[in-house]
Amino acid sequence: MADKNIRTVTDVICPFCGTLCDDLEIDIDIKEQKVIEVRNGCQIGTRKFFSSNPSEHRYNKPLIKDNGAYKEVSWDEAIDKSADILVKAKRPLLYGFSSTECEAQGQAVELAELLGGVLDNTASVCHGPSLLAIQDVGAPTSTLGEYKNRADLVVFWGSNPVHAHPRHLGRYSDFIRGYFRKDGTNDRFIVVVDPRNTNTAQLADMHIQINPNEDYELLNAIRAILRGVELDIDEISGVPKNKIIELVNALKSCNFGVIFFGMGLTQTLSHHRNIDAAICLTRELNDHTKFLLTPMRGHYNVAGANQVFTWQTGYSYSIDFSKGYPRYNPGEFSSVDLLMKDEMDACLIVASDPASNFPAAAVKNMFKHPLITIEPHHTPTSVNSDIILPPAIAGIECEGTAYRMDSVPLRLRKVKEAPGKCLTDKEILERLVEAVRSKKGE
Amino acid sequence: MVEVKLKLKKKPDFPLEAETITPDKFAGKSAAEIKKLVLYHGNEEKTIGDFFNVTGTGGEVSDTKIILDGDLSNIKRIGEKMTGGEIVINSNVGMHVGNNMSGGKILVNGNADDWAGAMLKGGELEITGDAGHYVGAAYRGFWKGMENGLIKVHGKIGNEALTWVTGSKPAKRFPTLICGGAGSFLGIHSHGGTIIVEGNCDRCIGADQIRGTIVVKGQISRILPSFKKIGEVKEIKLMSGEKIQGKFIEYSGDHSVEKNHSKIDKKTGEISNSANGRLYVAA
Amino acid sequence: MSINNLILITCRTINQGVALEGGKNTKENVRAAGICAFDKEDFKKLDCLVGTPVKVITDHGEVVVYSTISEEGPHPGIIFIPMGPWANQVVNPDSQACGTPTYKGMKARVEAIPSGKVLDAVNLIKLLREA
Repeated sequence: MADKNIRTVTDVICPFCGTLCDDLEIDIDIKEQKVIEVRNGCQIGTRKFFSSNPSEHRYNKPLIKDNGAYKEVSWDEAIDKSADILVKAKRPLLYGFSSTECEAQGQAVELAELLGGVLDNTASVCHGPSLLAIQDVGAPTSTLGEYKNRADLVVFWGSNPVHAHPRHLGRYSDFIRGYFRKDGTNDRFIVVVDPRNTNTAQLADMHIQINPNEDYELLNAIRAILRGVELDIDEISGVPKNKIIELVNALKSCNFGVIFFGMGLTQTLSHHRNIDAAICLTRELNDHTKFLLTPMRGHYNVAGANQVFTWQTGYSYSIDFSKGYPRYNPGEFSSVDLLMKDEMDACLIVASDPASNFPAAAVKNMFKHPLITIEPHHTPTSVNSDIILPPAIAGIECEGTAYRMDSVPLRLRKVKEAPGKCLTDKEILERLVEAVRSKKGE
Repeated sequence: MVEVKLKLKKKPDFPLEAETITPDKFAGKSAAEIKKLVLYHGNEEKTIGDFFNVTGTGGEVSDTKIILDGDLSNIKRIGEKMTGGEIVINSNVGMHVGNNMSGGKILVNGNADDWAGAMLKGGELEITGDAGHYVGAAYRGFWKGMENGLIKVHGKIGNEALTWVTGSKPAKRFPTLICGGAGSFLGIHSHGGTIIVEGNCDRCIGADQIRGTIVVKGQISRILPSFKKIGEVKEIKLMSGEKIQGKFIEYSGDHSVEKNHSKIDKKTGEISNSANGRLYVAA
Repeated sequence: MSINNLILITCRTINQGVALEGGKNTKENVRAAGICAFDKEDFKKLDCLVGTPVKVITDHGEVVVYSTISEEGPHPGIIFIPMGPWANQVVNPDSQACGTPTYKGMKARVEAIPSGKVLDAVNLIKLLREA
């Protein structure tokens, strides 16, 4: 019997990871505007919906730090003081944006350009190297739906979906029945390349236990064997030669293969060159069969941030506006490198938590300067900020577009109202743009 | 040569973008005019005069010698796009020194930061200390990098030097890097570069190399699996025709790349000697 | 007791993911991300009980975390700390000019510190502020 105090929303997009599952069902208590039940989500997605309910961990009013304690202020005052800080700064950093929707990301570009600062998103510490490699050698890729229906060989290289993308195997890459893979997991051969025997490796048909930091050499060996070269050595990157040959034969003889790769390639030594080799390998496998690759994007809308920044500036992350036009150079304009050199003099952090995710030395330098955070929950970044601007959570309390790991755009739903005085990220950034414009006399 | 001397009088709080410090921009200008040239400091437009004391007058481009003193380790883009003349930098220098240079000479009496000599089209860049990553490299998204010229680093360099370098025997362009030691991924995606390492280097040397020569007079941490040993030689002939004497092991590579002219005969397994991708390591 | 010549990997775990959505400044987060997982055989060399605080030391810093046995072994010579503020005390901040720090593959050594104190996220990061 339907309870008229409960509203059920179906086909909800989960705003956690790059898999962007689109089949969640959320029950909302209409009166309290609280999430009561989440169906179909993984542990993490479910927790995210529940954490949007009002609690002691959730901000619902703007706060400004005054003598070491936070006091509640009006939106006007909070925006005004934030704009003051940003306009006075000569090298402000705007960072984050991966856990919010596309229209907010567009506002961020306008704000960064107005301020002549640096605009960056979390790809800078995550799949930035993948983007660098794609800019060098391209990428043969496709959508998750195609992989689900066609792939009979799936490689996870440096990626552990059981932990990081929990429903990926069940919806797209292993257990799901596909149009040409009607027998689900029995129709698929899973290969995992990882230094540890991860939970994903434990499910795989073949686990290549590679030495850490030696991925490039293994990719190079695979490409050479594919080309008919006889290798002079018996072991590469900790993997015996005959195991590599076994892998190459499996890769060549499948009908449709896909490589999913993650931080194991982007965050180890040689970073983007690992991806470069993986892309070249994928392309070369197309001499033998059909092969594609897709990066396992971490945040649910980091791909969207890359898209929006690229449409508007020509570049996907680590963009400098100090000369009045966008310039791009990770390593020079990437957030961690800038903070390590203590080059910034103010930071606006949106939809991310660098205090938790940046190396300690970079965080230390970030704390030396004014810090403004747009963040719904208490995080190590927000509790050390000078100004906290509470947003409605995109995908739960605010509609918008998000891009999945395969760059398919999906429309996020609003399932309930935001608590307290929260505004959407887009509104907050719009107000900041307006305040900055008036302070600059434009 | 006509000298223009610049001495840093105020330490910048942020990196200075100084692409106006070139013989081309100084040519025919008085010290007062040079002082008015624009520099970027954070998001503020400043002038050379705000940060430097300037003496001297610029002559013809090829006749102008700029001498820089003071701590320039945070000054970027010195010598950008210059076509002639000389620059002497008497300290460490920031990123992008001599990028897109097509003529003239830059001497850095100190260390250089990343991207030294990026996209070099000609001329000479000499660094007496160490250099950072991406020496003589292509900028992001460019698939043609250094085309000509000489970069000489007495000390060690970082990773990914001379990415996408394109040399050409018919066009007589022999982009060359000589360094005292190197990191990894030296000459990645090289299309005809010449690299000589006087000391040791790290891993993945010559990755994706299609044409060109890399000579390592010290040791390599690990040679890529896709490089094949050909034999021992006592003399190396570089693309430019110059010869290097010494005992080296010759490898052909990178055989993981389709475009490599170092083709392997499918029937005999022999390496064709019309090959041009070569790595020599001291025996 | 201590172990030398280890390689440290930092990575996501599902528990750390759940904890970060639930509240990064909670005890749950400490138990999810303030830990170091060892290969079963390697851990015997430390000669202490599971859960004993250990100090993980790399060229870039040191941090005290709870020890645990990895469910994703065997991986002799490798230890892992889930991503988060504890891991970030010891990762390599150098990106080799590509923008992304080298979060995985640092050389590490570990000492058992039975009386060691594992700080929660807020207090751990507060140290960066005061320093």
